Amino acid sequence: MVFSVVIYYTFVSLQYSPEVQMAIESENSLLNIFIAGSVVLILFVAIFILYSNSFFTKKRKREVGLYSLLGLRKKTIGKMLFYENIIMGGIAIIIGVILGTILSKLFTMIVLRLLDTPVEVSFEVSIEAILNTIIVFMIISLFTSFNAYRLIYRFKLIELFRAEKEGEHAPRTSFIAAITSIILIGFSYWIGFQSPTSDVQLLVNLGLYLISIVVGTYLLFRFLTIYILRQLQKKKTIYYNGTNLVGISQLLYRINGNARTLTIIALLSAVTISAISVGYSFYYTNEKQAEKEAPFSYMHISLDESVDKHIEKTIQSDTEHPINGQIDIPVINLNGEVSNPLLQDYLEEGPIKIISENTYNEALRMLDRESNIQLSGNQTIGIQPLLTEYTSADYEEHTITLQLPNKEIELAFSSMLEDRIIPWNYPDFNIVVSNQLFSEIATQITPVTIKAYEVANEKSTKDTTVQIQKIASEDMQLTTFYNIYRKGLESGGLNLFILGFLGLVFLAATGSIIYFKQLTEAHDDRSRYEVLRKIGVSKKELNATIRKQIIFVFGLPLIIGIIHGIVILQIASNIFSVLIGMNLTIPIVITILVYFIIYLGYYFLTLTSVKNTVNN
Amino acid sequence: MRTIVNAKNIKKVYGTKGNVFTALDNIDLEVQEGEFVGIMGPSGAGKSTLLNVLATIDQPTSGDINIDGTSIVNMNEEQLAAFRRDKLGFIFQDYNLLDTLTVKENIILPLALAKVDPNELEHRVLEVANKFGISPILDKYPYQISGGQKQRTAASRAIISKPSLLLADEPTGALDSKSATDLLESLKGLSEVDKATILLVTHDAFAASYCDRVIFIKDGKMFTELVKGKGSRKEFFQKVLDVLSALGGGQSDSI
Repeated sequence: MVFSVVIYYTFVSLQYSPEVQMAIESENSLLNIFIAGSVVLILFVAIFILYSNSFFTKKRKREVGLYSLLGLRKKTIGKMLFYENIIMGGIAIIIGVILGTILSKLFTMIVLRLLDTPVEVSFEVSIEAILNTIIVFMIISLFTSFNAYRLIYRFKLIELFRAEKEGEHAPRTSFIAAITSIILIGFSYWIGFQSPTSDVQLLVNLGLYLISIVVGTYLLFRFLTIYILRQLQKKKTIYYNGTNLVGISQLLYRINGNARTLTIIALLSAVTISAISVGYSFYYTNEKQAEKEAPFSYMHISLDESVDKHIEKTIQSDTEHPINGQIDIPVINLNGEVSNPLLQDYLEEGPIKIISENTYNEALRMLDRESNIQLSGNQTIGIQPLLTEYTSADYEEHTITLQLPNKEIELAFSSMLEDRIIPWNYPDFNIVVSNQLFSEIATQITPVTIKAYEVANEKSTKDTTVQIQKIASEDMQLTTFYNIYRKGLESGGLNLFILGFLGLVFLAATGSIIYFKQLTEAHDDRSRYEVLRKIGVSKKELNATIRKQIIFVFGLPLIIGIIHGIVILQIASNIFSVLIGMNLTIPIVITILVYFIIYLGYYFLTLTSVKNTVNN
Repeated sequence: MRTIVNAKNIKKVYGTKGNVFTALDNIDLEVQEGEFVGIMGPSGAGKSTLLNVLATIDQPTSGDINIDGTSIVNMNEEQLAAFRRDKLGFIFQDYNLLDTLTVKENIILPLALAKVDPNELEHRVLEVANKFGISPILDKYPYQISGGQKQRTAASRAIISKPSLLLADEPTGALDSKSATDLLESLKGLSEVDKATILLVTHDAFAASYCDRVIFIKDGKMFTELVKGKGSRKEFFQKVLDVLSALGGGQSDSI
């Protein structure tokens, strides 16, 4: 409970923190993201509190039964539990807010760090955040208190006493259900990779995907694991070998009650891993993405010479960011048609932008990239349009027909390149032609000149960017690296923070759920281990079988979660256009690794606690 | 005749300075192979402590214990566990069966732990189950069978590894008289036919009357010893009752 309050308060106070609000220039989207985040958090926190609450009441049924047996009236017991719960809730809120205040400063610093904004973080208490937190948790607390009050009315006395003896029976399994689980999960993966043709179909697919993956995962834990364990049991050489007998049967016996928990953990892990990976990928790929969208630090179309001069002076006067290179890029806009229908679909009506080979080579060298293309005659090279995954194969052996005012000329694609030199503008269809051809076309159609400047430390050119923005008119289509980078950083950093924060909450919760569950079970298992000790199982062997069981309980949902997560990521990268064509391996691997390490921490914590419980 | 148990001057003291309780006070005990020995005494006399010490579950404060020629006093945790597995068999009042295992699995547990060959296992389990008449319920779970059947399962588990010494702690305590008689007959059979050495802790004079010899302890000290000799079980039962009434605080029907 304290934990939940801390998390929620930290999050809400961030939302109200003036530093964070100031740091974001697009405030509306920020607010929306934060509100969405807090809704998810409330839902999650509520579920978590209810879960742990039911866990504790289960443990206390006996105590309540005893009070009843001693002659306390139901009403009195109910009231007692109610007040107890309310007081505990109140204390939790107070402690949570205090801890949250300390933590929120830390998190504010993290957010600002991610947004790359050096701001002194003041230490302050946000009244709005406190009120928000108190209201939310009072409601949850009242609800659980009311639940506690009803406890005594819900059960018969005999049930209260029997609570802890509620035995789980040896589970049955069915081969069909086990197979169904695999088929369902396979189906969900398959449907995830279908590219929907309409929005309705997308929703239908999403629904089918969710249902089949949830049901499939549940069946997997409920039946397939049992089936596998049963098969192991039949292999006498394995089953009758040392403590395997105890370990396997113990797992079998427990899995019925655990199937739901394991499913939740696997799914939460999947969601967490994929969410953080997506957030991290946005952040991670931001710079590359910005470089593709705005290859140069400043680019604008030349319309008026005096304005051009003014801009040039402004850039020159910024001594902190000396100019590394400056180039005029003549571009010819022409209509045309591509012989590959795939590319034609993309191109539609829009103009094709034509650049000469010399300009292309020179511009790329200015950006410190190797380029030495040589074209002759009717040869041309395509440049990969941004946000697409076209490859050289889509261009090779296809032709493009350009419509000049008096005639049509046909060019043959020799390959495709990824490096871009002009700013993004839909349709982003650029081709490079030979110098000779370019000047030939230029005699008929006047090229547009794009002025491009590349400066040092382009990430921090805020001041100059603002100044140029004042000078340049709308028609000049000013594109600055800083603006695009900054926009990506803001949304990417914030996404990463919110997704990471929620992921951390999920992770903490899943870890706690397993921890609690394993500890209760260890409590119940104590007598069993006691028997084993008396029969002559050494401490070492006992610990080994405990370890194996916990590895099973921890490892299985983690593996399933990671597999689900990776598949979800594959699907996500097909949906989010920004992620198309990005190599996400590194962010995904880092995310999974971090997740795994924290998860491992929970494993060791659980293992130690269970061992202590059993050995005492 | 081998000497299975040879315990000398066993002393067990609980508590710390100022609040010391002597549970066992210089007890000597010797049990020969094939003997069926009962240990009786009022509550708190130290019966269970003695059994626990002999079972290596508890360590004596001082004294020396040899079981089947091996001294158990200075063994470490690992050695003790192996020793319990190889040399001792246990039957407890509350059965202590694992409810996650079937009857059969419960019985073979000690052998599985000792990594005995699976074929050998199957063979031994049938042999033992026949002896105790539980072959029809081998595939059932403990919650599906009666108390008497549970205790016979526990007894089967105790003897399957052919232990040097079988320790029984109030095995009839939770059984009805029919089941108790069956179990005691089986144990007697084991001792007479298979030459099993059995140590039985009980406060039930009826159970004790099945023994060859009964040792009475009181306040942690040896009180007296009764040997059955050639008399009938009924006569021996009467003798046991007489001693108990002299001992005081024993069975309610002896007052």
